[in-house]
Amino acid sequence: MSVESTTAEPMTVVDPAGRQRHPRPRSVGVTAAVVLTALALPAVVDAYTISIASTALVLATLAMSAQLVTGVAGLPSLGQAAYLGVGAYTAALLANAGYTNGPTQLAAAALTGAAAAAVTAPLVLRTRGTTFLMVTFAVAEVGRTAASQWAAITGGDDGLHTPPVTVWPGTAPLRVDGYIYLYVLVCFLVLAALVALLLRTRLALVLRGAADHEPRLGALGHRVTAALTAGFLAAGAVAGAGGALLVAVNRYLSPADMGLDVSALALLAAAIGAGSMRGAVAGAVLVVAVRDLLGTDTGGHATAVLGAVFLLVAYRRPAQEWLRTRVQGGRR
Amino acid sequence: MTYAVTAVDGIAFGLLLFTVAAGLTLIFGVMDVLNLAHGSLYLAGAYLAYLLSGGDLLRLGAALAVGVVVGAAGGAALAAAMRPIAGHGHLDQALATLGIAFVAADGFTTGFGGAPLPTDPPRLLAGSISLAGHGYPIYRLLFIAIAGLLAIGLHLVITRTRHGVMLRATVADPAMAAATGINTRRVQGAALAAGGVLAVTAGVLGAPLLGPAPGVDTTVLVLSLIVVVIGGSSSIPGTLAAALVVGQVQTVGVIVAPSVAPFALLAVLLVTLTARTRTRPAVRPA
Amino acid sequence: MTALLHLTGVGRRFGGLEALRDVALEVEAGTRHAVIGPNGAGKTTLLNLIAGALPPTGGTVLFDGHDITGLSMPARARRGISRTWQHPAIFPRLTVYANLDLALRAPETGVNRSDRRGRRGQLGTLLEHAGLAGDVGTRAGALPYGRKRRLELAMALAQRPRLLLLDEPSAGLDPIEITHLIEQILALPAAVTVLLVDHNLDLIWSLAHTVTVLHHGRLLTTGSIDAVRTDPKVQSAYLTGTSPQNPRVGRRRSVPSHPGADISNHPRQAAAEQPEQPVVLRVRDLRAGYHGAPVLLGVDLDVRQGEALAVLGRNGAGKTTLLATLAGLVPPYAASRVELIGRVLPRRPRPHHLARAGLALVPQGRRLFGPLTVAEHLRCAAALCTAPATPGGRSWTVEKVLELLPALATRMQHRADRLSGGEQQMLAIARALLTNPRVLLLDEPSEGLAPSVIAQLTDTISTLVDGGLAVLIAEQNLDLATAISERVLILSQGRIAVACPTHELYEPAQRACLQRLLGVAAPTTASPALRLSGEPGDVAPLNPEMAQDAATGGDPGE
Repeated sequence: MSVESTTAEPMTVVDPAGRQRHPRPRSVGVTAAVVLTALALPAVVDAYTISIASTALVLATLAMSAQLVTGVAGLPSLGQAAYLGVGAYTAALLANAGYTNGPTQLAAAALTGAAAAAVTAPLVLRTRGTTFLMVTFAVAEVGRTAASQWAAITGGDDGLHTPPVTVWPGTAPLRVDGYIYLYVLVCFLVLAALVALLLRTRLALVLRGAADHEPRLGALGHRVTAALTAGFLAAGAVAGAGGALLVAVNRYLSPADMGLDVSALALLAAAIGAGSMRGAVAGAVLVVAVRDLLGTDTGGHATAVLGAVFLLVAYRRPAQEWLRTRVQGGRR
Repeated sequence: MTYAVTAVDGIAFGLLLFTVAAGLTLIFGVMDVLNLAHGSLYLAGAYLAYLLSGGDLLRLGAALAVGVVVGAAGGAALAAAMRPIAGHGHLDQALATLGIAFVAADGFTTGFGGAPLPTDPPRLLAGSISLAGHGYPIYRLLFIAIAGLLAIGLHLVITRTRHGVMLRATVADPAMAAATGINTRRVQGAALAAGGVLAVTAGVLGAPLLGPAPGVDTTVLVLSLIVVVIGGSSSIPGTLAAALVVGQVQTVGVIVAPSVAPFALLAVLLVTLTARTRTRPAVRPA
Repeated sequence: MTALLHLTGVGRRFGGLEALRDVALEVEAGTRHAVIGPNGAGKTTLLNLIAGALPPTGGTVLFDGHDITGLSMPARARRGISRTWQHPAIFPRLTVYANLDLALRAPETGVNRSDRRGRRGQLGTLLEHAGLAGDVGTRAGALPYGRKRRLELAMALAQRPRLLLLDEPSAGLDPIEITHLIEQILALPAAVTVLLVDHNLDLIWSLAHTVTVLHHGRLLTTGSIDAVRTDPKVQSAYLTGTSPQNPRVGRRRSVPSHPGADISNHPRQAAAEQPEQPVVLRVRDLRAGYHGAPVLLGVDLDVRQGEALAVLGRNGAGKTTLLATLAGLVPPYAASRVELIGRVLPRRPRPHHLARAGLALVPQGRRLFGPLTVAEHLRCAAALCTAPATPGGRSWTVEKVLELLPALATRMQHRADRLSGGEQQMLAIARALLTNPRVLLLDEPSEGLAPSVIAQLTDTISTLVDGGLAVLIAEQNLDLATAISERVLILSQGRIAVACPTHELYEPAQRACLQRLLGVAAPTTASPALRLSGEPGDVAPLNPEMAQDAATGGDPGE
């Protein structure tokens, strides 16, 4: 007991969960300010910007999914759009079958996203590193091909048009961009809160451990594959829910919505976030802003602009080093 | 019987994938870089073939010659681009090559528009011959022959020549290869240039089979990545076998069972990966 | 008394290399059992087999009466086997708190997972015992090396193991830290059985109840400390090498015959004594290390044409780092100066330039190009030897090399990774010779080889030296080292501790010093914490990737 009392002092000073990114008062304040601004956005900006903001929230959801796999579990995924696609088709098919209730679609999409992740986990979790990147990419492309092949269900490359979502049974469907945005924002905040809770669990700690030193984790007796599977399922569920939001925003869905570029943008957002969930969300917003606001000013070269963002992020470290030596050289 | 003809198509498609995947494997093996812009190199070759298509053999020859230059320059540029981020992890390399692929895709749509462009083989090779009672395009048979020879030639260069041995030594242990006197940086540059040449050549020759269109870069990239994973990225015969399997699944499979064919690829992938993890020890000897 | 751990007929092969053969071992519950043996004896492999990181290629492992041979590492951990690695295996990006939390929250550690308060109490105790209470919030990767080690041990103990496996726990620690480590292990409850591998014999003598000696993958003996220390077999394994006959001590050819001559490592004197033998490799103030941790702290040496200079020293003394730095695989620090045949080498030379200039490396562990055949190895190296034959450096051809090493001639079409250890060593030498070196750098050539092969190797190297080649050899096998060398350097903690002619090694005064620096004998005066080896560059990584592994700790896993 005496040992406990002597160590009690440093324990209270230190973050009890021992995580690096535990919310501090200031960052809680920043988050609250961002959320309030996001809620007030429809009153401030035009409808076009609001629809872009909705798109950004969808990509932000996918970026959280990518960050769970890439930043937390340390496995670079280039296929999260596949699970988004599964969720999106679930939501779209439900909508076309008359189930226009948004939250129902969201829950069903999350479930099928997780189910798709469960089916593919035995394949992709056999690999690590670059091979994981290759295999997740392959899985996603196969999913996209299947979506365009199964024209009877998915409408093939022509895609599916869906009726607008309703928030509550009996209420009017959401047709105005501002309301759709608010619905998506609330859903996103709920998902973000769930992800934040997940990051405080033992599972998240084990996933971070797997990213850091997998043999050590095994030597401690942890069931590494089971933990990775659980993490991958959670990421699939988040991506699937993002799919439902995508359908709510666009009221249209085609195989192109689950293509390589979507997965790549999610990975880019996660890389911008450098391991942090908030960073990934900010990265997604930045990426969509560059593509849809800055990209339109470049005369249709949004793709090239995005390519430049990819390169900027990839070369940030050599660039920083170069700048540092330049600055030091200038002083001398 | 139609299946037999489709199977020949599958061989042609498989060899096309082999040519692309061999380049990808080379780059991956020698520099540990996963080139996600590899499909863009194929697409560059295909657009090149489109620009010079429909004429005589001379135009195809010109397209090939330009293709070799473009491929070598592309590979060399990739080598230069990857050097500053070597050792910064695979994620940065993936982002950089994705960025290159995005910029290239934008360039292609700007230059050639968004529609698929049909690319004809040279007039002399445009006809078809009777193959067991079915008309079969001469060009495809010729493609099979050329790509087959390329595969054999590549295998011989890598296994039999001095440069092939130096290449494999560099792949096996770059530091020790350098300590044996091999200029590993030059070997890496040459291998990346060769990888680029293979991809662009595949595009030039393969354009009549898989013509230039937006998105073809992704299709070629993912299929050749699957070939690399199945083939085990260590030997030319392994890559060739994997490419032929994928080629059959993508042609015969699509006709026999169109909705299942995509998943057949995943099944092959799962079986290979499972078999491989079984045979590999968990820990390297210390 | 029943054995907690019982091994019968356990063996492990890696391709053509038999790392362990037919090992039978019983570890009694509650004992502190040490496994010692020269480099390459198979100690770490044995530990990996017990921990479940490697499946054995033969034999059975019983733990507490149950057969665990087929169980994975996590499954064994849940049964109560915990371990540490040679390089501390921790979670570098997580805080110290999170590291220990992960250890406590593993399944079946006996900790109630939902009991956060109880866990916190335990964590506090662990932190206190490990002396890490001030580092709770620090990222584990940012800890100094010694604290990383303490954290790893604390994690292993948090599992409440019944069997604790420690792989080189003292590697890289300073004397005070080693004292702390010894106290910590001695304070462990009797319920924890400890099996440890360490090169620091002083630590072993002060801890172990029972000692097992491994040699060339076989179990030499098991017994009490006194029994093992006086065992002539053990003495010979550690000190006088392996061959039964008296070693040819000191090559007489160029050693001055008058006794008492100062042949220490002093260039001017040496040059004056032997004007006909020019210095081909001159090294001044060589300093190098990995990731900011210095391993070599200023080494001076000269190697003359037609002479072999042996570098001795315990594991971690910096021998491999010395050779790797000379071969250009590790960049030296700024002050260092290396001259090859009178030419000052650039500070950051490219390895292939050095190879072509006449420096050839035969690295520790051979490092052959696995899938290439013997013929391809020879062809590859021969293609590169563009340097003309120079005085002292022969113009080697494949034929001449095969004449010297006839064993290879019958194996030309075999893959290198399918060769036996001896054949692999011959091939590594052949590969180096074909680049027409002026200086041959040999790193632990006898490691893992059978005595007869070592005898053959000794002859081969002697022939080369007689032919005019300059050889710098790092060895743990004294027999081999003394048979071929005229002069000996003993490295300790990155510096040259002793430099003397080889024949003086067996004079009584030097003998005692040798025992202290290399041997199995206990130190007569010093505290158990006296440590003469153990820089982080223990098994020096030769490329950045491996260096990374070494730095982040543990096995790459794939």
